Amino acid sequence: MLHIIVCIKQVPMVSELPWDSKTGTLKREAAQGMMDPSARRALEAALQIKTGMGQNQAHIIAVSMGPPMAEEILYEAKALGADQGVLLTDPCMAGADTCMTAFILGKFITGHCPDAGLVLCGSMSSDSETAQVGPQLAEVLDIPAIGYARRLELVGNCIRVERHVDDFMELMEMDLPGLVTIDHAGESDLYTPRYVALGGVETAFKAGDVRLMDGAALGLDKNFNALTSSPTKIIDVYSPVTGKENRVLTGAVKKMVDTLFDDYGKIISSAMGKDLKTHDHEGDV
Amino acid sequence: MDFNPCMKHQLIRKTVQEFAENEIRPRAAEMDKGPGFPEDLMEKMKPLHYFGLQAPAHLGGAGLDSTSYAIVVEEISRVSAALGLCITVHNSVGIYPILRFGTRAQQQQFVPPMAAGESIGAFCLTEANAGSDAGGVETVARKTDHGFVLNGTKIFVTNGGICGTILVFAVSDTVPSRSSVFIVENHTPGFSVGEIEDLCGMRANPVASLFFEDCAIPADHCLGTMGQGLKIGLSALDTGRIGIAAQALGIAQAAFDESVSYAKARQQFKQPISRFQTIQNYLADMAVQIDASRLLLYRAAACKDSGRPFSSEAAMAKLHCSTTARMVTNLAVQIHGGYGYSREYDVERYFRDAKVTEIYEGTSEIQRMVIARDILTRPT
Amino acid sequence: MSAEKQIWVWADYRNYFQSRVTLQILARASVLAEKTNAAVCAVVFGDKVDAYVKEYIAHGAQKVYVTDDPSLKTYNVASYAFLLTSLVRRFAPETLLIGATRFGQEIAPRAAKQLDTGLTADCIDLDIDDAGQLVQVAPSFGGNLIAKIITPHTRPQMATIRPGTFQERPHDDDAQGEVITVPLPETMPSPRVRCLKSELRPARARKIETADIVITGGRGMGSKGKFKKLFDLADLLHAEVGATRPVVYADWVSSEALVGQAGKHIKPKVLFSFGVSGAIQHTAALADARFIVAVNKNPNATMMKLADVALVADANQVCSGIIRALKQRIRD
Repeated sequence: MLHIIVCIKQVPMVSELPWDSKTGTLKREAAQGMMDPSARRALEAALQIKTGMGQNQAHIIAVSMGPPMAEEILYEAKALGADQGVLLTDPCMAGADTCMTAFILGKFITGHCPDAGLVLCGSMSSDSETAQVGPQLAEVLDIPAIGYARRLELVGNCIRVERHVDDFMELMEMDLPGLVTIDHAGESDLYTPRYVALGGVETAFKAGDVRLMDGAALGLDKNFNALTSSPTKIIDVYSPVTGKENRVLTGAVKKMVDTLFDDYGKIISSAMGKDLKTHDHEGDV
Repeated sequence: MDFNPCMKHQLIRKTVQEFAENEIRPRAAEMDKGPGFPEDLMEKMKPLHYFGLQAPAHLGGAGLDSTSYAIVVEEISRVSAALGLCITVHNSVGIYPILRFGTRAQQQQFVPPMAAGESIGAFCLTEANAGSDAGGVETVARKTDHGFVLNGTKIFVTNGGICGTILVFAVSDTVPSRSSVFIVENHTPGFSVGEIEDLCGMRANPVASLFFEDCAIPADHCLGTMGQGLKIGLSALDTGRIGIAAQALGIAQAAFDESVSYAKARQQFKQPISRFQTIQNYLADMAVQIDASRLLLYRAAACKDSGRPFSSEAAMAKLHCSTTARMVTNLAVQIHGGYGYSREYDVERYFRDAKVTEIYEGTSEIQRMVIARDILTRPT
Repeated sequence: MSAEKQIWVWADYRNYFQSRVTLQILARASVLAEKTNAAVCAVVFGDKVDAYVKEYIAHGAQKVYVTDDPSLKTYNVASYAFLLTSLVRRFAPETLLIGATRFGQEIAPRAAKQLDTGLTADCIDLDIDDAGQLVQVAPSFGGNLIAKIITPHTRPQMATIRPGTFQERPHDDDAQGEVITVPLPETMPSPRVRCLKSELRPARARKIETADIVITGGRGMGSKGKFKKLFDLADLLHAEVGATRPVVYADWVSSEALVGQAGKHIKPKVLFSFGVSGAIQHTAALADARFIVAVNKNPNATMMKLADVALVADANQVCSGIIRALKQRIRD
């Protein structure tokens, strides 16, 4: 039986960015959440491995560290086919950076998944985009890791991973237990996530609760505080000044087009790598 | 009384929204151009149980409760009311009567292909002389040694152009006051589909007349037992009303959401029109109306789920939601001004789609009759 | 143990692109080093890496730590992270910078965890504050949010840097640098990840994703025939053509052209958007477009609000207008 642990995360839906400037952390509760698309791909890979192995040959545990509302994505994971869902949630975990997140996930896996054979993560989440938790978790668990997988193949107690990194096509292999992060979509993508089937949602809620674990259940020190333990500190957060003037042109088409080239011709021509005449040059041949 | 949806219902809603936004929305405007749903879209919906929402798992469905069902119809209708109509009719007056009144054998035979989306359901009651007056049905079922022979014409059949399993409301040739419901499959000789209707709204749905000319069906194709027509009809309509109410609510919500974002973006007199009190009043009225409709709808669904009688509640929901859809879409076009009248924007489609929700599956006038009857027959 | 402050740059040289990133970071490191009176050091692991050592000295490295051994010929995350960590423990640099190439993003987190220090990913700027700390500026949410981060208590301060952020300095043949050869440790971790095959194979010409100018068309173009005109414009601009999902579903163009969350992400210098309303699934893929010109009959379309210049007009007419204007203006 192959025990697969999939690390997933709830991220805010694209248009919402509620930021708490007092604590320097994301107000995750204020935004509508969804399962991080990268993690969803990791779950898809796990589901395909399970299908490929046949009846009762693989067991998938979806685990996430997050606020109470993140429980929803664990049910979503179950709806998609994960056998079990676990949410690590405790106020002391708030504000964890990648180092602390890897530590906490590691506590769960080491303490409660002794048979873990394969740990799957997304390569990079859509919110923080650090791509660090996977490798750091492997370090915490002291297992080998391969990142940016495009295709996975189980060969005995080994896993073969095809990946495309920095223009190199590589075929890697490692003995399990090991950790793999799944790449974003590329050509001939294998791990495009399937949609959740409605019957799956119904079954997910019938088949038993998502397990909630707080700091004490994980064996964290009672004074543990992820925010203060994180080696990196955010000192400021801001929306980038886009410098977009959002100039609106109206009127006759020819006039607008002329204005476009007169005022912005340089930008266009430099992108083209060609010279463009503007009205100043009308005197030229 | 907890007004907050539980996690399961929230997840159902998000699940459908994800599919609807990614797969249906890009095609909705195109679909409105003519009858028929894109084949590949239907194929994507089948394995996700959209065609077997409330059918039990052992028959291939998702086994959803009525609240979840209403959420699904609402969210699909928010993006394409015509597709929402297909789904709700197929599920609530196609599959549901078979589940409620069918024999074990009938359920085993007909439900799995319907739940899988391989055979789309339709329900025929309306005829040229029988609209609100269902008693005016003239389609006749003549009993023979082998089963029944049906003769008649049904009009305005939703899903008519694509249906595979049809529930037909017909009267007995010997006792005209006794009606029954018969199951006809589209490959049966004597069954044919007429021209697709050219309608004001719901244009993607292939609504058509269905002709039964000496259409012979086996004896075991009478749904339940003979003479249950009225009972099945009323039950089907009660359930169908929740679906139509959800559909109307979805249309209203879509129109409202677009109105809010338009009001914030559109500038006149050097400010967004959302600053004007008139527009604010419109938005407030729309919001209250929609919220009230929402509460009525989900109250009716909750009644049904808890096994309580829900006829009057469903009628209230259908009446209120369809009125809301009409009122909100009208205001939405108004808020959009000239642009609202143009096909380039979606609001005019919502406006055209909304109207029929006050007419089909029991006109608003009929809904009032149902509600009044309930009031007047209650013990005092 | 060195007494002076050191800013280390781990050298990524496997292909031309990766090597450029190393040079870019060396350039920035030189600026930072001046502010903190530190020495810029490159760290190179590999087999027969002399040429790279010289290159990095010529681009700003005052010292180069080298471990040269046949066993290091192929990049290996575990081995390199181990070597890097042992070097750091020995020489205690203040700062360790690594390019945010894919390999860099694998080795940096592992080294950071081994060293129990903080790591900031994909920085788009680095600076030194009044207290002499490294200020790491990193984007999140597709660039919608920028964070300034410091590593107050642990050392080294680690960061990966987005390629293309900094400008490399010109090659200086006269530059001098100290080369410190570090022998391979006696006990290296046994390789648990084996590389069976590694081929340099640049991704299939990802034209639209790397194009400097992109033209996208939406339903506002009106029809398949009218949409075709965008290709004429593309020829003149040497641009690639993309489309929104409704256009692909309506079969006006192949699905290869889909620009969006489920399609291709683009980062052109200039984006021309014709008749696109701006659904979020589409605009999410445009975050990196530098200059946007949008054309739409509807001034309130989301795409118009995102543009640098928004032309309120029929997309077809403007497309023709721009084609005419370009023909007149292109100097041969």
